[in-house]
Amino acid sequence: MLGQELSETGKRLFRDYPILRMLWESGRKKGLRETIALIEKAEEFNRTFAVPRALELDMRMEREPEYFDWEIMRQACKYRFLSIFIPKQLGGIAGEFMVTNTSLLMDELCSGCSGIALAVGAHSLGVAPVITSGAMAHWDTVLREIVEGELKQQPVTMAYAITEPSAGTDVEEPEYLEKAKLSLEAKKVKGGYVLNGRKCFISDGSEAKYFTVCAALDRNRPLQTWTTFLVERGMEGFSTPRVELKMGQRASHAAELLFEDVFVPESHCLGYEGDGMGNGILMIMAASRGPVGSIATGIARGAFQHFLAWAKSKRNGKRPIEEDRIRMALADMWGMIQENRGLYMSNAMLGDCIFGKALDNPVMNLTLSLPPSLRTNKPMRTFLNSYYGKAMINYILRFYIKDEDMTQLLETASLAKFSCADNAMELCSRALSLMGPEDSEERRWVEKCYRDAKLTQIYEGTNQLNRLVVNNVRFEETLRVEVPRPFKKGVMA
Amino acid sequence: MIGVPWAKESKQYAVLRSNALNFASAELAPVADDLENTVDSPLLWKAVEKAGEMGMLAALVPEQLGGEGVDLYSLCVALEESAVECAGFAAALLFHNAALVPLVYVDRKDLVEEFAKGRPLCTVATAGEVALEDGKLNGSAPFVFNVLEGTVALLFPGSGEGRKAAYVRAGTSGVEAKVDPYPLGWRVSNFATLEMKGAEPVFVLDKSEREAVTATERTLYLGLAAIANGIVRKAFQKAYDYARQRYQAGKLIIEHQAMRLMLARMLCSMEEGRAIIRRACGVEDLGPAIIAWRRAGANACQAAMDGVQIHGGYGYMRDYGMERLMRDAKYCQMFPRPEEEQLLRLLDMAEEGG
Repeated sequence: MLGQELSETGKRLFRDYPILRMLWESGRKKGLRETIALIEKAEEFNRTFAVPRALELDMRMEREPEYFDWEIMRQACKYRFLSIFIPKQLGGIAGEFMVTNTSLLMDELCSGCSGIALAVGAHSLGVAPVITSGAMAHWDTVLREIVEGELKQQPVTMAYAITEPSAGTDVEEPEYLEKAKLSLEAKKVKGGYVLNGRKCFISDGSEAKYFTVCAALDRNRPLQTWTTFLVERGMEGFSTPRVELKMGQRASHAAELLFEDVFVPESHCLGYEGDGMGNGILMIMAASRGPVGSIATGIARGAFQHFLAWAKSKRNGKRPIEEDRIRMALADMWGMIQENRGLYMSNAMLGDCIFGKALDNPVMNLTLSLPPSLRTNKPMRTFLNSYYGKAMINYILRFYIKDEDMTQLLETASLAKFSCADNAMELCSRALSLMGPEDSEERRWVEKCYRDAKLTQIYEGTNQLNRLVVNNVRFEETLRVEVPRPFKKGVMA
Repeated sequence: MIGVPWAKESKQYAVLRSNALNFASAELAPVADDLENTVDSPLLWKAVEKAGEMGMLAALVPEQLGGEGVDLYSLCVALEESAVECAGFAAALLFHNAALVPLVYVDRKDLVEEFAKGRPLCTVATAGEVALEDGKLNGSAPFVFNVLEGTVALLFPGSGEGRKAAYVRAGTSGVEAKVDPYPLGWRVSNFATLEMKGAEPVFVLDKSEREAVTATERTLYLGLAAIANGIVRKAFQKAYDYARQRYQAGKLIIEHQAMRLMLARMLCSMEEGRAIIRRACGVEDLGPAIIAWRRAGANACQAAMDGVQIHGGYGYMRDYGMERLMRDAKYCQMFPRPEEEQLLRLLDMAEEGG
C-alpha cells in the first residue's frame, strides 16, 4: 500500500527516516505530502542546477570572491525555496511541518552544494525574526514582496545580522552579551533610531535587500537594550563594503555591513526595545541551530556519496570496496549520518510541535485571512506598530509557546548542531585519508566537502558554545529561554 | 613566544634551525599568500634561489657528488622551519630533495648537476600505476607536485618490493601532464597527473633499486612529518597569539579552559613530533619513518582544525592565514600513500623482521 502511494523520493525518505513513515501511518499524510514534494524539488534543483555547477562556481569564487551567481536565487524562486518560513496565508509555503521541512531541505540541498544551499538558507534566517517578533506591519509589505518577487523570479532576499567584529559567540547568549565588546550601537532619536558601527561575516549580506539587524541601544547595557531592527538596502549611510574569501561554502557571501548614521524609523523596530535576545536570538537559534545540524549532515552525505562512488569504482584493477577496511569505514560513515539525522530530526519535530500551533490556530488564521488591505491601511499600520498592536499579535503568536518548550528546543538544537558538525568533519576527513593521493573527481568533491564542513563547527555559535548551552540547560539548569510575553511586567515595556 | 620548550637539540641542529627559521621569516612569510595564488611565479623562484644558497636544493647528496651532504634530520629541521611559514614551499623542496636520493646509489654526479639546479624543481610520483616495459614507461601517476615544463619526475614503476626507480621529464614525448588547477593544499606549484604512453625515461636506476626506493620513501615520510610539525607550530603560534588578544565572555580566550586545552594539545603535538622525527631519523628502517609521518600528519590536521576553531569566523577566512594550514595539513596526511594502507604495511614489515 505504501509503495503505490509514494514516489521514489517518498520511499527513500521513509527508509532513511522511519519516523516519517510512522507519522504517515498515523494519518499525517497531508503535511508529509508537502514534505515529499519539497524534497523532490530539492533533488531536481541539485540534479539540474547545483551539482553541475558547484565545483566550477567554488573555484570561480576563489578568484572572484565578490562575484555572486544570481542564478542561484532565481532557481530558488522557481522552486519557491525563498518562502519556506513564510506562512501560507501570506503566500508562502510554510506548512504543517515547517521546521522539519526546512531541516530536510537544507540536508538535501547541502548534499549537492552547501555554498549554494547557504545562499538560499541564510535568506530564511533573515525572514524568521520578522515573523517571530510579531511585526505584522511588515508581513504584508516585506514578506509579500519576497513572495511576489519569488513568483516573478525576481528574487528579493533577506539576511540576519548578529555577528560583530569583536563579538561572535558573545552576541548569541544572554550571559555573554552582558560582557560583549560591541561595535554597533543604535541611538534613540526622534521618530526612530540612528545606527552606527559594523557587522561582519553576514551570510547573503551583500545581496539581501532587507536585513534583520541586532543592536544594543546602550553598549554598556547590551542585554537590557538588545533590539532587532529591520534595515533596508538603500537607507542612507548603510553599505556592504567587504566580502570575505571563505575556505568553503563560497557560493554564499560572508559580507561586512557598515552603518554610518543610518536612520531607522521607529516602525522598523521588530518587537520591542530590549527584547532582542529573548525574542530574537534565542528563539531564532533554537530554530536555526538544528538546521545547521542538517547542513552538516547534507555535507557529510554528499561526501559519503562521492566516497561510495569512489569505493565502488575500479582502481588499478580492483575496487576499494573489496577491502574490509573500506567496507567497515562505509558502515561507520553511514552510522554517523543516521546519528545526525536522528539528532536534527528530534529538534525539527519538536520545533514543529511548538511553532505549528503558533502560526496555525483559529485566531491567527482569522487574522491572516483578513484582506491585506485591512492590515496595510495607515490607521491599522499605526496600530500594529504601536505597543498595543505588537502586544496583541505577540499574544496570539506566543500563546501556545511555552518557555520550557523553547528551552528544550534550544537544547536539542545545540546538541544537533555540534554533534552533526563534528560528525561531518570527521567523515570528510576520514574519507580523504582513505582515498589518499587520487586523481579523481570524487576526491575533488570530498575535498570541497572537507572545506565546507568546517564552517558548520563555527557558525550559529561555535561548537564550544553549543556544548555549554547543552550543559547549562540540561545539567546545571542555569539557562532558560524566557519568551517575552505581552503585558508581563518588565519585559515589553 | 613559546617555542617547543622541552625538545633539546645539539648546537649543530640548533644553529641550522635558527638559520632556517630566519630564511623562512625573511623569504617565505612575506610571500606565502601570494605563492598560494600563483604557480611558476617569480616569487617562487626567488625563494628557491635563496633556498639554494642555504644548501637546500641537494641537501642529502654527498659533497663529492656536488651536494650538501647533510643528514636526514638536518633536512627535516630545514623543512619544519620552512613549513612554519609556507608548507607548500617546504613540500616543493622536499619532493625535489627526495627525487635526488636514488642518484646517490649510482654515483651520478652529472645527473645531480643536471637535476638539482632548482628551476624547475624535481618531483616524486608515488601513487598510481606505472610500468616499465622494454625501456618505455606506461601508466598514470596522480598527485604529482612541482610539475612544470621540463620538470624531472622520479617514478617507481612496478609494484611491491620489485619497484624500480626511473626518471622522466615532463613535456617530452609520451609524457603528458594533466594539471589540476584546484588542489586542496600545497599550492605553490602545479599539481598534476602524469600520463605516460611509451615515454622514454631520462634515466633508470640499474642497481640498488630496492635501497634507493626505500631511502626515497624514508626521506618523503620524514620530510612530510617535519612539514606537518611545522604546521602544528604555526597553528599553535597563531592561535596562542590570537587567544591572548581576543575577548570572549568578558575575558581573554586564553583564559578559557576549553581553549587552553586545545592549545595544550598542540603543544604536546609539537613536542611529540620533534621526538618521533628525531628517533626515526636515527634508524635506517622505513618503519619508524612511517610511524612518525602518521602521527605528525594526524597531529597537524587536528592542530590546524583547532587553530581555525580558536579563531572562530576569522579562522575560516583566507585573509587571516589560518585556513591555509588546515588545507595544507590534510595533504601531509593524504600523501604519499593512504594512511591505512601504510599501517597494514607496517605490520607486514614487522612480521618480516623489521
